[in-house]
Amino acid sequence: MSEEILKRLKDSIIDGDEDDAIEAAKEALAANLDIKKILDEGIINGAEEVGSRYEKREFFLTELIMTADAMTAAMEILQPLLEKSDSAKKATILIGTVQGDMHNIGKNIVKSLLQGQGYNVIDLGIDVPPEKFVEEAKKSNPDVIGLSALLTMAISKMHETILALKEENITSKIIVGGGILSQDTCDKIRADAWTKDAYDGVLKVGKLLGDL
Amino acid sequence: MTYDWQTCLSRFMTVVSGGKKMDRVPFLPLAMEQIISRIIGITSRELVSSPKTYANATINTYEFLHSDYCNLSSAYAGPHEALAFAEANNRKDVIHWDDYKPVFIDQGAVCKTEEDIEKLEIPDHSKIKIWQTSFDAAKMIFNKTKHPQMVCLGIWSVVQELRGVKAYKDMKKNPDLLLKLCEKVYESQMDVYRNWKEKVGFPPLMYITAYAFNGTMMSFENAMKYEGQFLKRFQKEIGIPILIHNCGVRPYWEELCSEITLLGVQGSHPLEIDFWVNFKKKFPKVTIFGANIDVSRELLNGTPEIVELKVKENIDNLATGGRYAVSPMCALPWGVPLPNILAIPSAIQKYGKYPLKKQ
Repeated sequence: MSEEILKRLKDSIIDGDEDDAIEAAKEALAANLDIKKILDEGIINGAEEVGSRYEKREFFLTELIMTADAMTAAMEILQPLLEKSDSAKKATILIGTVQGDMHNIGKNIVKSLLQGQGYNVIDLGIDVPPEKFVEEAKKSNPDVIGLSALLTMAISKMHETILALKEENITSKIIVGGGILSQDTCDKIRADAWTKDAYDGVLKVGKLLGDL
Repeated sequence: MTYDWQTCLSRFMTVVSGGKKMDRVPFLPLAMEQIISRIIGITSRELVSSPKTYANATINTYEFLHSDYCNLSSAYAGPHEALAFAEANNRKDVIHWDDYKPVFIDQGAVCKTEEDIEKLEIPDHSKIKIWQTSFDAAKMIFNKTKHPQMVCLGIWSVVQELRGVKAYKDMKKNPDLLLKLCEKVYESQMDVYRNWKEKVGFPPLMYITAYAFNGTMMSFENAMKYEGQFLKRFQKEIGIPILIHNCGVRPYWEELCSEITLLGVQGSHPLEIDFWVNFKKKFPKVTIFGANIDVSRELLNGTPEIVELKVKENIDNLATGGRYAVSPMCALPWGVPLPNILAIPSAIQKYGKYPLKKQ
């Protein structure tokens, strides 16, 4: 029975079926399944399958977005169980799109994928000035700070944000994300890691935290 | 000394027509608000405040960059079309101006609901101030430089601004609705074209930001459905040459050129020069603008010496026989060091004179 529920949850994540994900999560709750098992075998397994198909170009942005939504919906149902369980609690990630950039698609997918993996995510939204990142970092002491941007012109603002964080002695790891980035740019703006897309970003956050 | 736009024009026309009689490889940068603001010292809003300011700032910027082509920067499909839709649908509240960047709207705010798409009004560009300024500025640039102006359009760039993340879900959940939005954007862009022709006095070259043709975003089949079929319709209805821009990391260049007749392609990915060498062999009639000189890599982080070497690599591999112009893959961003940009024309002078000598 529990295997069936977990498979249904996993399939709903792969299919990006929000309604089915909610139902499966409810069933998992009702069956009193272990939260770690639900996350690992239902949600994370499903997300990994989607990531793998994305890498193979069988899935595209549409599937990533729908999977992220299904994961968020399932996580909302599982929230009471997550709050009770220490084993499932993971690090805190602070994310936002840097000032001057209004794009939120990539950031929102990353947010949902991270939440689906059990991370506590604080989302500052779009067009976030450096001082807002600093203020929130001081308040919530995140393990990782993720800066997102779509536009090439936003790279300088990413750099400015990182300098502001370092000046205030914020020691959180910093990851920058966007198709415009490269290892060279990451090094130049003094980020700890970079990612070109959402799924890769989640893997890199895991690596930064030593979870992978 | 007066800038020799006539010789520049001759280089540009030769390269796009596949001619071989050129003194050197042309240089075609893409200068938009941020770099113009930086070079001229005015904000984006000041830039588009009058046709004269817009035209002069554009010409002066391209002269500063030693460009072989002068084109109005901001007849740019994404931001200006999104602004036009926002204004036509009484959503001025979602429009944002920044000092040194193109105007932006809140992504997804104009077409938040299905009803928004059903009721979406197509802008009348003769009543949208920023487009009026653009038309007049394009005419002024042409009068001063005699360079044929390109109007920059694109379906998916506008769809994404209007519908946001929901556009991607619509592909699976409501493709008919999404196509309806694409149709409205297409109609709007035909209105841009008609207005352009009337106000500027001649038909433009068409520069398409074909953002759908990116393997990280959608399948090629969907790219054709939501952008490609409209490119074909542009060609059929207007019959003007099309130049495609895509700055994504997995562009469908070969698939696209097999489906649609194009004047040229501009982009950087894939970064391997061998891809572009093979592309040139496979599509000898398509002019390559680029190919792998990347604004977010060499130009942003490198030195003038590194940029020169990159330009040399491109020229050595791609310029033989023409149909090649040096061009950074995307708009020059704010933070790129100016000496790095100016290293491009300098490298062309060193390595790009015909007949080419490999060093």
